Amino acid sequence: MNMNQPQAGAQHPLKASKPRRGKLARSEDRAGYIFILPWLIGFFGITLLPLLFSLYGSFTNYDITSQMDFIGLANYERMFSSDPLFWKSLSNTIYYVLWMVPLTTIGSVLLALLLNERVAGMRMFRTIFYLPSVLSGVGVYFLWMQLLNPSTGLVNTLLSWVGIAGPAWLTDPFWTKPAVIFMKMWAVGGGMLLYLASLQSVPPQLYEAARLDGASALRRFRHITLPMISPVIFYDVVTSLIGGFQVFQEGYVMTESGGGGPMHSLLFYNLHMWHKAFTVFDMGYAMAMAWVLFVVVMILTALNLKLSKRWVHYEGGDS
Amino acid sequence: MQIHKHTKTLLIPVLLFGLAATGCTPKQAESSTASADGKVEIDFWTFWGSETRRPIIEKIINDFNASQDKIIVKHTYLPWGDIWTKNLASIAAKNPADVIINDIASVDQRASKKQNTELTAYLEQDNIQDRFYESLWDNVLYEDKAYAIPFNTDTRMLYYNKKAFREAGLDPEKPPATWAELEEYAIKLDKKNGNVYDQVGFHPLWGDFGIDNWLLNADGGKGFFDNDNNMYINTPAKVEAVNWIKSWNDRLGKKNVDAMQAEFGSEQSNPFISGKVAMWIHQGTFATQIRDYGKDMEVGVAPIPEKTEGSGHYSGGGGFVAEIPYGAKHPDEAWEFIKYLTDYDAQKYWAVKNFDNVANKEAASDPELLSDPIYKAAVENLEVTTHFRAPIAVPDFKNLITPQIDSALLGNITAEEALAKAETDVKSMIQQAGK
Repeated sequence: MNMNQPQAGAQHPLKASKPRRGKLARSEDRAGYIFILPWLIGFFGITLLPLLFSLYGSFTNYDITSQMDFIGLANYERMFSSDPLFWKSLSNTIYYVLWMVPLTTIGSVLLALLLNERVAGMRMFRTIFYLPSVLSGVGVYFLWMQLLNPSTGLVNTLLSWVGIAGPAWLTDPFWTKPAVIFMKMWAVGGGMLLYLASLQSVPPQLYEAARLDGASALRRFRHITLPMISPVIFYDVVTSLIGGFQVFQEGYVMTESGGGGPMHSLLFYNLHMWHKAFTVFDMGYAMAMAWVLFVVVMILTALNLKLSKRWVHYEGGDS
Repeated sequence: MQIHKHTKTLLIPVLLFGLAATGCTPKQAESSTASADGKVEIDFWTFWGSETRRPIIEKIINDFNASQDKIIVKHTYLPWGDIWTKNLASIAAKNPADVIINDIASVDQRASKKQNTELTAYLEQDNIQDRFYESLWDNVLYEDKAYAIPFNTDTRMLYYNKKAFREAGLDPEKPPATWAELEEYAIKLDKKNGNVYDQVGFHPLWGDFGIDNWLLNADGGKGFFDNDNNMYINTPAKVEAVNWIKSWNDRLGKKNVDAMQAEFGSEQSNPFISGKVAMWIHQGTFATQIRDYGKDMEVGVAPIPEKTEGSGHYSGGGGFVAEIPYGAKHPDEAWEFIKYLTDYDAQKYWAVKNFDNVANKEAASDPELLSDPIYKAAVENLEVTTHFRAPIAVPDFKNLITPQIDSALLGNITAEEALAKAETDVKSMIQQAGK
């Protein structure tokens, strides 16, 4: 009995606090909700509802205009068992992601390291290297189609100076994906900016101490720089992985009538999905494809998060 | 209590959303009423926004508006490609255009998906069916009912550079008639400078003909499917055609072919007009590009060469129709406009200004038009022109055929293997769709 007494006493102020929240707290609540209202409307109206709709739609033969009958797992079954283009487009996309993510990450880290040196005119170099990532959209792809032109394009002209006969980048199915991946390298400036910021926040005394201990430049990079910028690398890898799976425009713009190029070598997952949805109105199937992609990306991201514990170093400990 | 309060707050966005949704309704209702002077306004969607085409279609619309006092047609231009997705979305939202120009090859596809309006009742009222070429009319039917009205069509012919013919010692009045002759002439027309070609006589996949059309040309005018959905993918004639196309790559060098092709442009940088290629297959309207950009060219036209003598100069064609999207607000007025659009005057005007094959037979064979030899050839070529159509169950079947043929052309597999594989894939697709 006696033991319970203080507990009850401790509960009392809590209970009492309730009425004290009163009008002010409630109007604060309300104000808070009103402030986040735009986001709530956006989330519920144009994210969650369509998301749930597409989940349901993926179990139907929905064609936008005439039918939406429940057909169970038929779309998924068809996808895995009898759509050769599903596998083709998935493998194209995975190939693209597997090359594009590491290459752009390494590319932007190296670029950031170079641009972190103290050299006269560095600001100008930084601007120049960042510039391409400001441009986006279809115009850039047209520009690259000219650059990659097998006989008059700048890329093959440069290669010819060192005695290499460049391939027909966009018409030879062996070279189309490397061409697109190569093209992606031109926009590493965006990632570079993040790394540059992160590099500049590495405390100089760490390098100083290492130098006193006789650590070589390579070791300083391996044991100081890399761990210190690892959170940014992690962020970059995760976002470009997700972005990589959404590759669409490259295949749509750079191939003849958006068909996916020679031997479907640029038929990316989203392009195949788009064709299913909007050229043959197989919307239910396209929705099912979207969910499969969602699951694939989610698993990979979860895996990334799990693996990140082994190599990502957070200065303030795990947060 | 706590949870309850949250749910209440969460209701706000839902309610607001509802408000926004109902707020849209009066606006919609407004647009569907007649305008102040009692005229009904209808919305007409086309993708004709170019400098050449826009004034032509707008002149036709203005003529129609002036010709009567009940209907006003408003022209909405939407870019090619965009127009189909917007049409689809507007049909789904139950607020579509009243008339739209759409692809002739997939009228039945859209009919099966309730995207366009059945026109039987209107046709009983005014029977305009006899205005049009029979082959075009076939393409607007779904289960024997019409869902669209043909507007224009096209066909592909062989254009050849007479000057180049003379230079190569060929008779400029005797174009190649068979595949063998085509190849023989092409070799004579090739001009090689070291490793680079200054002029190539011909390549089957340049221009506007494409693999599908060659396979059709080889196979007695049969595409991959006929109108009864019989499949003709892996046929001996088609296998031969793939091998024949590959032989051009082998002779000219795939690298040269790719390199040249990547540079092709249109208008003055079109390789036929700029003299890089001596024979070129294109639609009838290509003549206007030659007229405008190839000032001193001497050009002849001929039907597509046939595989062997007597196998037929088959060509492929497409075209567009006018149709009423499903759920359009003013179908009666839309019908009146479609009738005008496909009648003699409008069709002749379109043909004269655009040099385009029109669907109306009488307008197409107008003496004024036929006085032009190229136009005349294009009209005559319609006789041997097949219009592609895809089975409703597998509208995208060609996606399974092209990569196999690509692979055969690259020499990865034989033509037989390619077409056999394509046929198996398409069969399995049909089976799956039938489930």
